[in-house]
Amino acid sequence: MQQRQPAPPVAGSVEGADSDQKQGRRRHRKPPGLPWILPALVLSVGLIYYCIGYTGYISTLNWDGISSTQPSVGDKNYVRIFHDPVFWAAIRHTVEFFFVTFVIQTFLGLLFAVLLHARLKLAMVYKVIVFVPVVLAPAIMAPVFRHMFAPDGEFNSLLRDVGLGSLAQPWIGQTSTALGVIMAITIWQWTGLTFVLYYAAMTQIDQSVLEAARMDGAGNIRTLINVIWPGVRGTTVALAILSAIGALKTFDVPYLVTIGGPNYATEFLGTYIYRMTIPLDHVGYGGALSIILLVIALVMAIILQLVGRERKGGS
Amino acid sequence: MFEARTWKGRTALQILATLLVLPYLFPLIVMVKGSLAGQGWKNFRAVLQVPGLGKFFVNSILIAVGVIVLVYSVTMLAAYGFAKLHIAFREVYFWMLLACLTLPEVVLLAPLFATALRLGLYNTYWAVILPLAALQVPFAVLLTRNFLMGLPNELFEAARVDGANSFRTFLHLVIPLTRPIAAAVFIFTLIGAWNDYLMPLVFLQTTDMQTITLVPQYFVGEFSNDQTKILASAVITAIPEVAAYLCLQRFFERGLSAGALK
Repeated sequence: MQQRQPAPPVAGSVEGADSDQKQGRRRHRKPPGLPWILPALVLSVGLIYYCIGYTGYISTLNWDGISSTQPSVGDKNYVRIFHDPVFWAAIRHTVEFFFVTFVIQTFLGLLFAVLLHARLKLAMVYKVIVFVPVVLAPAIMAPVFRHMFAPDGEFNSLLRDVGLGSLAQPWIGQTSTALGVIMAITIWQWTGLTFVLYYAAMTQIDQSVLEAARMDGAGNIRTLINVIWPGVRGTTVALAILSAIGALKTFDVPYLVTIGGPNYATEFLGTYIYRMTIPLDHVGYGGALSIILLVIALVMAIILQLVGRERKGGS
Repeated sequence: MFEARTWKGRTALQILATLLVLPYLFPLIVMVKGSLAGQGWKNFRAVLQVPGLGKFFVNSILIAVGVIVLVYSVTMLAAYGFAKLHIAFREVYFWMLLACLTLPEVVLLAPLFATALRLGLYNTYWAVILPLAALQVPFAVLLTRNFLMGLPNELFEAARVDGANSFRTFLHLVIPLTRPIAAAVFIFTLIGAWNDYLMPLVFLQTTDMQTITLVPQYFVGEFSNDQTKILASAVITAIPEVAAYLCLQRFFERGLSAGALK
């Protein structure tokens, strides 16, 4: 770059600029691309950044969303959030939800993937059953789960049938088990995707390494731990990111199955923002909560980019 | 991966897999069994006779088609621009887009609501289509751009040397070559739009505008909490999704996997 030669005096300035740099010339020959990306920028960046700016403004108001008086309260909404026990409960639920769903989903997804690689009979049927929940809308399945986990629902009668009747309880009606039910539904819904991703990742593992491990007398469990698990590390990282984003976005299942309750036991940031903004009309407070969620999501996006870069660099 | 050379081992793995699958089957059985409880098939007849049931499907289809068309067109244009054309400060634009990747839709609720009311878009399809598309575009662009960057530059330079302008290159090179990735974009956009609950809940007020994700709630009111009919309506709304998946299994699995992997 530093060996740039001064343009010969004879050559016109235009030509000189053109042949300035090899790279520069190549870039100049590429047609301009800005008009091509404009529609996407207007739709996505335009709409979303406009909304974020607007939310930022709303978050400084004490506003019910309808009345024309919008008294500004400065950072009072934010100060309130940090003293709001429900907000901290929602954060705690999100973190717990992420760890539990991620660990169990990973374990089950991995297990299904290795099992179906073992050429079982009816493998196709198993795959369809595990994957169908991924396709079904949580909103459509919610009434089914409310029905199933009701005090007189199918889950309790199943427990009685297998002789565990003493465990029967109002699963979604009590604070101690409601969050667990939300986690179970989420795991039910997303294991199929985890499984398909692991299944695909396992086809990439070098067969000769597997053969070698088996020749050395490694059993199924040891092969899983020492060969397969490291082999699908990239997928695991991607799934961790996906689960974390999913935890932040959680809304449908807790809203429809437990309405964030009982007594805020299944409140997430999404359901709390909705509760504040729409039914309770504390739009200003909802806005401040949104901005905090946004900051968390943005930090996640940055981590995602860094991890992605590391993964690319490693391979 | 797992291997069972003996007959015993194979049976053990088969039993293990069956036991593991059962919990996944259980809610589906509860759904179907519950929908047939009480009056049996009459539950389905009662649900199907509710006037306007078809409208929920029509609305969902229209919204899904709108989102897909919008996402597909702006994504293809933008991915081509980002991957193969000259843009000053390209990285800046790209990062602005990527920053929206992890955004939960609930964050947009209050401003969208106020704006939709002011622009008269409240209770129209656009109030749902535009934000859904806006939220899907960043990832679709990321995916398609990465795909296009994997194609050799020489291909595009050759087209240019042959006198094709960027528009013709787009039509005759980009569109046909991106077909595999477009299938993935299509599937995860479809699932995202079809299964979305929050946007229709907030922005579609009247039942003649609402989507199938709002059907269970509608039936709670319609049948005053008659569980069997609510479950029958859940079965009816789930059937098209399951059928679509069974017909296009590979597309769904690949599309959703692409949608999951960044």
